[in-house]
Amino acid sequence: MPAGTPSVPPARPRRAGRSRAVAVAALLPALALAACATPAAPGPETPPADAPAARAATPDPYPLTLENCGVEVTVEAPPQRVVTIKSSATEMLLALGLADRIVGIGFPDGPVPDAWAEEAADLPVLSDRVPSAEVVLGVEPDLVYAGWESNLTADGAGDRATLAELGVATYVSPSACRDPAHQPDTLTFEHVWAEIAEVAAIMGVPDAAADLVAEQRAALADLRPDERGLTALWYSSGTDIPYVGAGIGAPQMILDAVGLTNIAGGVADTWTSFSWEQVAADDPDVIVLVDATWNSAAKKRELLATSPATANLTAVREERYLVVPFPATEAGVRNVSAALDLAAQLAALDL
Amino acid sequence: MSAGADVARPRHRVPTGLAAAFAAAALLVSVTLAVTIGPADLAPADVWRSIGDHLATLLGGGPAEPALGALRDGIVWELRLPRVLTAAAVGAGLSVAGAVMQGLTRNPLADPYLLGLSSGASLGAVAVLVLGVSVLLPVAAFAGALVALVAALALAGAAGAITPGRTVLAGLAVAQLAAAGTSFVIFWSATGDSYREILSWLMGSLAGAGWGAVGIAVGATAVLGTGLALQGRVLDAFAFGDTAAAALGIAVGRTRWLLLTVVALLTGALVAVSGSIGFVGLALPHAVRFVVGVAHRRLLPLAALVGATFLVWADTAARTVFEPRELPVGIVTAFLGAPVFAVLLWRRRAAGADA
Amino acid sequence: MSLRLADVRWSVAGATILDGVTAEAPGGRLTGLLGPNGAGKSTLLRVVAGVLAPDAGGATLDGADLLAVPRRERARRVALVEQEATAVVPLTVREAVEVGRTPHLSRWGGLADRDRRAVDDALAAAGVAGLADRALGTLSGGERQRAHLARALAQEPRLLLLDEPTNHLDVHARLELLALLRRLTAADVTVVAALHDLNLAAAACDHVVLLDAGRVVAEGPVEEVLVPAVLEPVYRVRCDVLAHPVTGRPVLTFT
Repeated sequence: MPAGTPSVPPARPRRAGRSRAVAVAALLPALALAACATPAAPGPETPPADAPAARAATPDPYPLTLENCGVEVTVEAPPQRVVTIKSSATEMLLALGLADRIVGIGFPDGPVPDAWAEEAADLPVLSDRVPSAEVVLGVEPDLVYAGWESNLTADGAGDRATLAELGVATYVSPSACRDPAHQPDTLTFEHVWAEIAEVAAIMGVPDAAADLVAEQRAALADLRPDERGLTALWYSSGTDIPYVGAGIGAPQMILDAVGLTNIAGGVADTWTSFSWEQVAADDPDVIVLVDATWNSAAKKRELLATSPATANLTAVREERYLVVPFPATEAGVRNVSAALDLAAQLAALDL
Repeated sequence: MSAGADVARPRHRVPTGLAAAFAAAALLVSVTLAVTIGPADLAPADVWRSIGDHLATLLGGGPAEPALGALRDGIVWELRLPRVLTAAAVGAGLSVAGAVMQGLTRNPLADPYLLGLSSGASLGAVAVLVLGVSVLLPVAAFAGALVALVAALALAGAAGAITPGRTVLAGLAVAQLAAAGTSFVIFWSATGDSYREILSWLMGSLAGAGWGAVGIAVGATAVLGTGLALQGRVLDAFAFGDTAAAALGIAVGRTRWLLLTVVALLTGALVAVSGSIGFVGLALPHAVRFVVGVAHRRLLPLAALVGATFLVWADTAARTVFEPRELPVGIVTAFLGAPVFAVLLWRRRAAGADA
Repeated sequence: MSLRLADVRWSVAGATILDGVTAEAPGGRLTGLLGPNGAGKSTLLRVVAGVLAPDAGGATLDGADLLAVPRRERARRVALVEQEATAVVPLTVREAVEVGRTPHLSRWGGLADRDRRAVDDALAAAGVAGLADRALGTLSGGERQRAHLARALAQEPRLLLLDEPTNHLDVHARLELLALLRRLTAADVTVVAALHDLNLAAAACDHVVLLDAGRVVAEGPVEEVLVPAVLEPVYRVRCDVLAHPVTGRPVLTFT
């Protein structure tokens, strides 16, 4: 995509309406200016070379500048060599159809969904954990896209400022900003979709985002939250002290969509350490088990069934478990499918 | 002096019997109260009735169905009661172990973990947590503690006679090595989630203490702790140095080995159950000394009772102050212990006693 | 209660410290153990007290073999007052003296009245009864030394060993200590004191053992041993003997 070429608005893209304006206005001030001039999708499309420049007022969005977790990031051109760290980042690019632009992945949290499995199989794995800065720089990326802010430190994949000086842009999933000022107060699907849009804007494929978001939006709209007022525990990890989904993160968002009340919802954190005593006192109707490669749902089931403290929980005695794979529980492209899947499992429990 | 002469006692000290009775009563009250406190909303009367019913069942009577309902009854009998009992046993054991270590090494800053015991146990525990076989945790922690002890004593003995000074230094070396190993294991293989469990263990936590933990902790403290508490006379003899102790008829080398080993076994068992809870073994003996004096015959039993009460309340705070979240109890003991220790040191100086 | 040593040997790391010491300390008498630095005086006292085990040789106290007796029993008969007390311990004087009762106490027994009496007697004998409730750290060097002496006396020993007991004491305190030791010998306690100060030995001792390089060079009454012919080769200074104007005992001068 040549830089500096006046953008050509395509035939009207699907309207995302109000939400798109919210997303754009909130997150892409620079592009919002351009979007004001044209209600079309932000950023240049891949235009056929012969399309006339109907709106000369739409500038080329690159170099684009945005604020990400409090750090100003400048992207000169659509990144072609991306290193992704954490499954949420990798899968985001896969979902946008950008597998060919990934030059290395780090810290995969689990297997990718079947839809992308073939593409993902060829992706070079830089490290099972956070790759070191040298390894990352060794593949000469122009963008490092991290799922957690802590991935981008000097003893991780590299300090953000240092990488910027070397011409490598960095981007952190906004839902994972550590500074609460940059974290969403409560994660909603709008935030997730805004991230999809923002990533797509950075990568220069806004249409792919629009398509994806519209798809997810429609799917979510079809999902009727359960009305029975059932309570749930989102059990992520921990044996003696359980670590559970709390009130403002992806677990809460997904539970809300499914229509389950989170017993730890009162804690103003994304995830939180909890106490089995509180769980016993609350006696949730269902238990959501997070299935991770290092801590499987099966192991959690066994723990719950054998520990005398939890064996008497209603959900344990009647095996009312819902299982969700770990990568789908971080803010990202799999949240909607996770919600749908959990809803289906809930229905199947036949309570 | 005539037979009935009133032999003078140090005036500012509390008589042992009185102090012990008071401490034991305080412990009993503490345990009784602590089980009624927790995030779940249970009336104290219900709690005690549940415990009473369980005890009656153990003795071959009692109701068939728990009055509170299986789940809430489980909160009392499977979560709170074993945890409080474990806290008492661990607190008692650590206090006695700490006091003995301080006497043996003649170092007021000694604690039960001195010989690399907690570092060794941490290494064992972390390795097991990272490998995901946390059911082996107590065994691995205990084994780690013993290996560290053997290494420390071997290192101390390699340079000649095992003196307190050498033992402390060797223990430091082993502790550093084990800590490095622990850090390495954590860094190399821990995933995001296991950091939490590891940190909780390293800080010391009584969460998840069930009846198995009670068995280990109470057993170890009752057997080994009592054994130590009866060595008060011997420890007092060490006060003036090895030569003086030998001249008083103590087999210095053998006694020291024996006491160190018992302390290590006790500490290893407690660490296996609860992780490395800090400050109990260090600060509590000093606090008790302040009240009842330095004589070990008085100090050890009282340190046990006071330590038990202290940890029961520290753990209660750990599980309720931020409810529904739980803190590892080691954080609470550090918060409480550090200023207590500072105050004690300051007061000792002010009183003109040796610092 | 005489102490007899027969060919006691002790070496460490290849260095021979005691090279066959044969000597006697008569019962109920004050024996001075003399010799230059490094002669082995402290080591000898420790061997007798049971702190060190000799490589060879024997020691008997009134005929009983000290080396064969169990430690506790030995500690009931022999007490040692060290030269340099360890770093000050946070005990009161009374508590420190109570530690001296250790060999007499049962495993978990407390102090019986008998023990308390022994402690009180020891405090009085050492002249520190008035300091009983003071912390050791608040005492002067001399007072602390006497407290340690009281601790040894609380053991109710038949044989009292002292290693350079006058080091921290001023002139008055020294003479007081020697008077105390004489009172003990009058009570039929055998006292052996390693002494630096030859004049002190001359003034107080009934019997003197002179050590040099781990061997007994001379042994006997003061008048026989504390003479220039014996002392000069050992101390390698010129020595002259005078008679004390009051007591008539030898007074030594050195040049």
